[in-house]
Amino acid sequence: MSNTAGALSRTLGKFLRRSVGIVLSILAGVFVGSLIMIWYKQNPVEIYGQLLKGAYGSQRSLFIGLQRATPLIFTALASTLAFRTGVFNVGVEGQFFIGAIAGTYVGYAFQMPAIIHLPLTLLTGFVAGAAWAFVPTLMRQKLGVSEIVTTIMTNYIATFLISYLTNYPMRADPTTPDTPPIMPTARLPQFIEMTRESANPLGKGTQAHLGILVAVAVVAVMYFIFKRTKIGFEWRMVGISFPFSEFAGMNLDRTFISGMLVSGGLAGLGGSVEIMGVWREYKNLFATGFGFKGNLAALLGGQSILGSTVAALFYGSMEAGALGLEWSAGIPRQLIDIVVGLIIFFMAAEGMWDFVKRIKWARAPEEERRTTQELEA
Amino acid sequence: MDANTMAQIVDILERYVFNVANIQGTLRLATPVVLAGLCALITSRAGILNIAGEGLILFGAWFGVLGSYLYSNAMIGVAFAMVSGFIIAGLFALFSLKFRANIIIMGIAINIFAQAATIFLTRVVAKTAGVFADPRIVGLPPIELPFIKDIPVLGPILSGYTAIVYLSWALVILTTIFLYRTPWGIHLRAVGENPRAAETLGINVSRIRFGAVMASGVFASLAGVYLSLGHLTMFVQQMSAGRGYIGMAVNNFGGGQPIPVFFASMLFGFIYTIGWRLQGERIMPVYFIDMLPYVATLVALTLFSLRRRRALQKARAGNSNEED
Repeated sequence: MSNTAGALSRTLGKFLRRSVGIVLSILAGVFVGSLIMIWYKQNPVEIYGQLLKGAYGSQRSLFIGLQRATPLIFTALASTLAFRTGVFNVGVEGQFFIGAIAGTYVGYAFQMPAIIHLPLTLLTGFVAGAAWAFVPTLMRQKLGVSEIVTTIMTNYIATFLISYLTNYPMRADPTTPDTPPIMPTARLPQFIEMTRESANPLGKGTQAHLGILVAVAVVAVMYFIFKRTKIGFEWRMVGISFPFSEFAGMNLDRTFISGMLVSGGLAGLGGSVEIMGVWREYKNLFATGFGFKGNLAALLGGQSILGSTVAALFYGSMEAGALGLEWSAGIPRQLIDIVVGLIIFFMAAEGMWDFVKRIKWARAPEEERRTTQELEA
Repeated sequence: MDANTMAQIVDILERYVFNVANIQGTLRLATPVVLAGLCALITSRAGILNIAGEGLILFGAWFGVLGSYLYSNAMIGVAFAMVSGFIIAGLFALFSLKFRANIIIMGIAINIFAQAATIFLTRVVAKTAGVFADPRIVGLPPIELPFIKDIPVLGPILSGYTAIVYLSWALVILTTIFLYRTPWGIHLRAVGENPRAAETLGINVSRIRFGAVMASGVFASLAGVYLSLGHLTMFVQQMSAGRGYIGMAVNNFGGGQPIPVFFASMLFGFIYTIGWRLQGERIMPVYFIDMLPYVATLVALTLFSLRRRRALQKARAGNSNEED
């Protein structure tokens, strides 16, 4: 009994210490962000106030945040999975857009009932994203080439390949490089489309769509796989200790390759969901940065499934707030990316918050004794 | 082979390979790759996986334009870029070496941060989206080398570049001398090969690594300011276009040695030049030409590691034969 209580308090202590680091990082990031605002001759309190109001102040802003968060959840999960397996997949960006273009093709080229068309389009996005991650995966596993360089290269190749596709073979409009619109059977309904007739329509003036449910389902599935299945365990273990996993007799090739491919697949799935819900056709490079922001959200969320989901939702809302800020006060919306980046710098710098631990230890001699005991054991 | 095809082949070779303009283009466009390669080299030889080169290049490009914009003087732009590289790399080193942040995560974050920050700064300073161009921005002038410029054939190949091109050549030689002929360079290599042994010998490992990261920042910012003031006279968002990562690949090909890295960069200079030429020819969609450097990096990395793997296998086979 006392053992359980001890374990509980220890976990709680660890959690608290980690939270203190996160809170301090956020404060530090926000503080440096305010310095930038002061330099920009703005009142930081007012700006942050407007940012929060723009993010959470109305039903519309909540739905804009949801819309922006939906793709980020996929790319953040993709990054998290890769990071946790010890693979730095910075190709999430390219995998996302390849999934989007592949989903677009299946969306407009085939005619079938929605019950088949919807899952098929989603699946295509997943498969295309995984396929796009395949070459870097192979190069890493078979040739020992760092995946950081190769996945970045595949991002650039994806960009140009898609520009070619939307300009030539898939082009529908002679004036702009856009593809034909996808069939209604491949569309994920937007909240406003479903509730327009009702007394209080949801998400008016936004394109928030049911893709968020797909995202939630994927989060649940990934959480289950991570915590409750053999492959999930192997993914986590490989990331924690490579020699241990090898010693334990895991098939490292299979673990790495599956982790990387599923990571690419999740990114691609996110791309197809974004097309099916928001854009309904591929506008050449409709927006960039979903992948990189997913990388950031994964880091912000401490590289855990639930953490990065929350971080993606937060990031989405902050983007909604930043968009409002750009409209009303003319402050570039990249400001929010800068603040998020700063927070991540401070979070990553574990050693910076060492003094916190020292303070806690000085006040709690019991805990200190336990730590030394642990060290001796 | 009939005379007609021969003539065609000769024509293609003359147009794309053996002509002075192409060689000049190769040397010019290789310059940022050479500098990015040195950036990767100096840190990898100190045992640090520095992937922040891309972001440092971007910052260098932006601050170079800022300096030139403020003072209408390209050299002040270069100085601005170098100072920015020094400071940002210093912060990067502080966080990852002193505060124990994971250096890869830091690198990824810096590269993404640099994209957002340079767009933000452009909008704040130039009030434009994505492009920082202004008549006040002065580019680096080409320099004609006295005497050398009058030598036939070699003259135009060796003369008439901007200062950073010559500086990059000098830095390749200086880095070689530094690594192999100075105590600091020997310490740096010792730290990279076996940090514990180096520490036992009384070498201050973290100071050496700090220095290596700061130097990499200066190399990267020079690559950046070459792009923005030597190649163009403006800043365009994401103008580094993966050169930081190509620099890492080039450092691999060159085995971490400055002179081989220089020649490996020439390959990329050549590919960029061919790209420029092909764009004028309109023989295929421009998107495939734009892809060339990135596809080339993947292909070269594959071939390079296949060859290294074969060499390793051969070496192992040789060893076991001797044991028999």
